[in-house]
Amino acid sequence: MSGDITLLGYGVSTIGPAIAVGLIFAAYINGVARQPEAQGKLQPIAILGFALAEALAIFGLVLFFIAFFVG
Amino acid sequence: MDYTTIVAGALKAATEEDHSEPIGAGEGAIPILPYMPELIFGLIVFGIFYFFVKRKIVPNLEKAYADRTSAIEGGMERAEKAEAEAAAAKKKYEDQLGEARAEAAQIRERAKEQGAQIIAEMREQAQVEANRITETAHKQVEAERQQAFVQLRGEVGQISTALASKIVGESLEDEARQRGIVDRFLADLESGAIEPEQLGAHDEVR
Amino acid sequence: MNATTTAAGLVLPTAGEGSHFPPTPGDFWQPLFAIPGTEYYFTRPMLLMAIATGLLMVALFVTTRRAAIVPGKGQWLTEQVYNFARNGIARDMIGSKDFMPFVPFLFSLFVFILLNNVFGIIPPFQNPTMARIGFPIGLTLIVYVVYHWVGLRKAGGLGAYIGGMLPAGLPGWIKPFILFLELITFFITRPLTLALRLFGNMFAGHMLLVVFIVGGWYLFKTFEPGLMLVALPAWILGALLTVFEALIQFLQAYVFTLLAASYIGGALADEH
Repeated sequence: MSGDITLLGYGVSTIGPAIAVGLIFAAYINGVARQPEAQGKLQPIAILGFALAEALAIFGLVLFFIAFFVG
Repeated sequence: MDYTTIVAGALKAATEEDHSEPIGAGEGAIPILPYMPELIFGLIVFGIFYFFVKRKIVPNLEKAYADRTSAIEGGMERAEKAEAEAAAAKKKYEDQLGEARAEAAQIRERAKEQGAQIIAEMREQAQVEANRITETAHKQVEAERQQAFVQLRGEVGQISTALASKIVGESLEDEARQRGIVDRFLADLESGAIEPEQLGAHDEVR
Repeated sequence: MNATTTAAGLVLPTAGEGSHFPPTPGDFWQPLFAIPGTEYYFTRPMLLMAIATGLLMVALFVTTRRAAIVPGKGQWLTEQVYNFARNGIARDMIGSKDFMPFVPFLFSLFVFILLNNVFGIIPPFQNPTMARIGFPIGLTLIVYVVYHWVGLRKAGGLGAYIGGMLPAGLPGWIKPFILFLELITFFITRPLTLALRLFGNMFAGHMLLVVFIVGGWYLFKTFEPGLMLVALPAWILGALLTVFEALIQFLQAYVFTLLAASYIGGALADEH
């Protein structure tokens, strides 16, 4: 089996953001369960946090593409 | 492969002059480098779409929102107005009804009065008529009595004269003064100068 | 260029060069015809974007042409989407004071990205436009210019604008570092992630769909009982992923618009 190590690297790099996104939504669900009326306030914040955490995975994707196609 | 090599490679790929194809074109292109026609086309299309939405869609929707708000407010206003109108109309009708009632009572009262008046008048007329009839009857009776009296007086005179003639044996008819005697007798009789008891007592004695 | 030498490519010898399995980034390169006089091509995503925009314009125009006080079905639907973008995104992120000028922009962004994304799973098109990086970069450029311009106008000058990026109450020695980080965030991280997030999600999601559906087809084509049996779960998973993809497409349109609104709101905020 052959392939490119960058692919594996990208896979590893998504672990961090995946955990982060999971934590963010766990906290969001906790918050809504405790205070359902706060959902409207929490939702944009949760989505923003999710987007920020996801940015790390996106950086990983960018570096993967660069390394894969250029390197 | 360290980070600087990667970035250098990316920059090299992005700026390379002797690139066989434009950036982003072809199957082998780096997916994260934009294909310029797509970028520009996307910008233009989105620009057109944005101005379309800004000019045509949002004003219409915002106008509908504003209309809806004002319609709800105006509807409440109209409802209040209608309620006031209804109250006014109700008051008017009640007033009219009261007036009509008062008028009807008045009319009834008047009718009652008039009825009583008519009855009184009729009664009066009837009384007058009855009086008149009674009076006429009285007069007639009086006249008849007078007539009968006169007739009776004549006859009584004749009879008594005749009777007296028979008794006396001589005719008294032709004598004028004899008439005066009868008259005097009758007058005395009327005035009570001759006591009927004497005759009556005489009869009883007999 | 050894994209085809992945594990799946080795398992399936029938999928050789020229086939679409396993999918490569090159599959998103779909030129239709050359633009006369240039070396550039008019591509299929461009056509799809034009179709999506045309459809959107017609649908929006028809449903709101006679915007009535009591909405019809179409107007009601448009109003729901408009309400979502207006109140759920623009007003919440920018604040009820001065969100109104940005409502047309954010609403256009939202519906534009949404329909272009959803084209990824609608049968005759089945290609998310935003999987070509040029389009997200174009949209991000607009957002980038808008929020910097708004922030500059609000601060009244470049110096004040840059100074406004610093959180209040910092000790003096840490300021340069934070300023450096904030500058990177404002000028590099934000646009980069905004464009790449949309692109990456659409790109990867579509590739995943292609892997499961086309892969199932290649398994089926082998006419070997064992592999044909495996094709069925592949397709079921493909169907499930299509539903999941629909969710992602909506979420990405929402996130893109939400972040754009939040950047504009941050630039407009009095206190950083």
